[in-house]
Amino acid sequence: MDDILTVQHVQKSFGSKHVLQDVDFSIPTGSIFGFVGENGAGKTTTMRMILGLEKPDKGTITVGGEPVTFGATKTNRITGYLPDVPAFYDYMTPAEYLDLCARITGIDQRRQRIAKMLDLVGLKPDKHRIRGFSRGMKQRLGIAQALLNEPRLLICDEPTSALDPAGRNEFLELLASLRGQVTVLFSTHILSDVERISDRVGILHDGRLQACDTLVNLHKQFGRSQIVLTLADGATAQRCRQALAPLAVQAQGTIVTVTYHGDYAATVSQILRALVAANIAPVSLQQENPTLEQIFLEVIGDAHAAHDA
Amino acid sequence: MRTLPTMLRKELLETWRTYRFLILAVVFLIFALMSPLIAKLTPDIMKMSFGKSLGIQLPKPTSVDSWTQFYKNIGQMGIFVVAIMFSGTMSQELGKGTLVNLVTKGLPRWVVVCSKYISLLLQWVVILTASFLVTWGYTAYYFPDHKTPHIFLGFLPLLVFGMFFLAVILFGSTLARNSYSGLLFTILVMGVLYLVNLFKAAQNYNPVTLIGDNMAITQGTKTLVKIAPGMAVAVAAAVLLVIGAVAVLNRQKL
Repeated sequence: MDDILTVQHVQKSFGSKHVLQDVDFSIPTGSIFGFVGENGAGKTTTMRMILGLEKPDKGTITVGGEPVTFGATKTNRITGYLPDVPAFYDYMTPAEYLDLCARITGIDQRRQRIAKMLDLVGLKPDKHRIRGFSRGMKQRLGIAQALLNEPRLLICDEPTSALDPAGRNEFLELLASLRGQVTVLFSTHILSDVERISDRVGILHDGRLQACDTLVNLHKQFGRSQIVLTLADGATAQRCRQALAPLAVQAQGTIVTVTYHGDYAATVSQILRALVAANIAPVSLQQENPTLEQIFLEVIGDAHAAHDA
Repeated sequence: MRTLPTMLRKELLETWRTYRFLILAVVFLIFALMSPLIAKLTPDIMKMSFGKSLGIQLPKPTSVDSWTQFYKNIGQMGIFVVAIMFSGTMSQELGKGTLVNLVTKGLPRWVVVCSKYISLLLQWVVILTASFLVTWGYTAYYFPDHKTPHIFLGFLPLLVFGMFFLAVILFGSTLARNSYSGLLFTILVMGVLYLVNLFKAAQNYNPVTLIGDNMAITQGTKTLVKIAPGMAVAVAAAVLLVIGAVAVLNRQKL
């Protein structure tokens, strides 16, 4: 089995709103898949369909080779789910809640497993009820319950959006540490998180997965490298822009940005020659690697262009 | 099936820790203590408020007055309190999304409905029986007469009515996303049943007869067999409502 999850031509609309037009992707076993999209793009809906909490209008989803059915799907045995706002029973302690979950999934040696999970997410096994928990603590408990049944596929819906910087960092480390043991599908709109830990990225926009590939390939396909020059003043920057005219140049204040495809060294020498010829001395010259943010905007821009055409 | 005891435990823990059981028990015990007491004190209260101006001679209170108070309190105020306390049992879970984690762990949805129903039923039987016993004891102490020969037979329909009433609450709660719309369903059902009760022919088949004829049965002026159809309807409706709640929950978005 190569792909633990396949989503084939899935469509979903709520009333007259077509949330998902045609979503089609698969996740290879063992990868960490970052699911990116704007708010309301349909990330949560897609995830809920994978868990059988939502019924697709069209299309099929399989987890671990088995088709997902609406309601009580058997595929949930091998999945763990962390909802965007996990809801617990306020009157229980974390250990009691995990015990309830463990009894439902039918885990042997519940005590050890629960103690291990609480330790993993850094919650104390004391008598404090969930009522008094902060969102960050609830998120920790959420990840503990999601990992409790040792799932093969872990689905996290915007897991880092409620956490403070330190908590976010810890959480990402935790996800990254699961690499190889668990396949992770996590959605977010914080692109730096995706860049940090995921090896594959899917960009959901306009109800379709506009791009779905490894980070490296996305960089190759959509990434535009840039060289950023800083100049002494605005007038010089304008002169610089004119001097570099044959290239794709943008000037803003004292900053001049050159976007190029292909070889860095060739482009730099072309720039330097032009600058020497025009007698312009830049304050600094810097190579900028494309960020996922640029790729994301590029992909969305392409989608709009295709839509308009 | 394996998960049913687990969920039942969760339900009982919930009702205990959220003080629902306690509040209900206290309210019902107050009713149980008040019923014989009010019956006993009514003549004195009347005398105090009207003084000597009250021309007619007040009859001496009997056990009939005590039990009348009991069935009036429980059958009207009591079940209303039950409806308020339990109308959020499912709708709160749906509104908050607390079932998502459990269902995605493989919890069958029918188990949720059945565990809730069993838990409600257990609480009803325990609380109601306790308050019945209290009233019985006090009534026997204050009014040692023989005017209420069929105490148990009169109580049985009330117990059975709970089966029906709790199923109505659970069904309404499953339809709703907040406890108030769940409560509305229960009130509507009771309203319709009381309207139906205006037709004499339907009375013995109507579940509300189970909370209306208790005194007649207790005193022996009506037999339990007479309202057996009402009991059968109540039990059948309860079963259908629970099955219906499962069907509704199966379609509900969590």
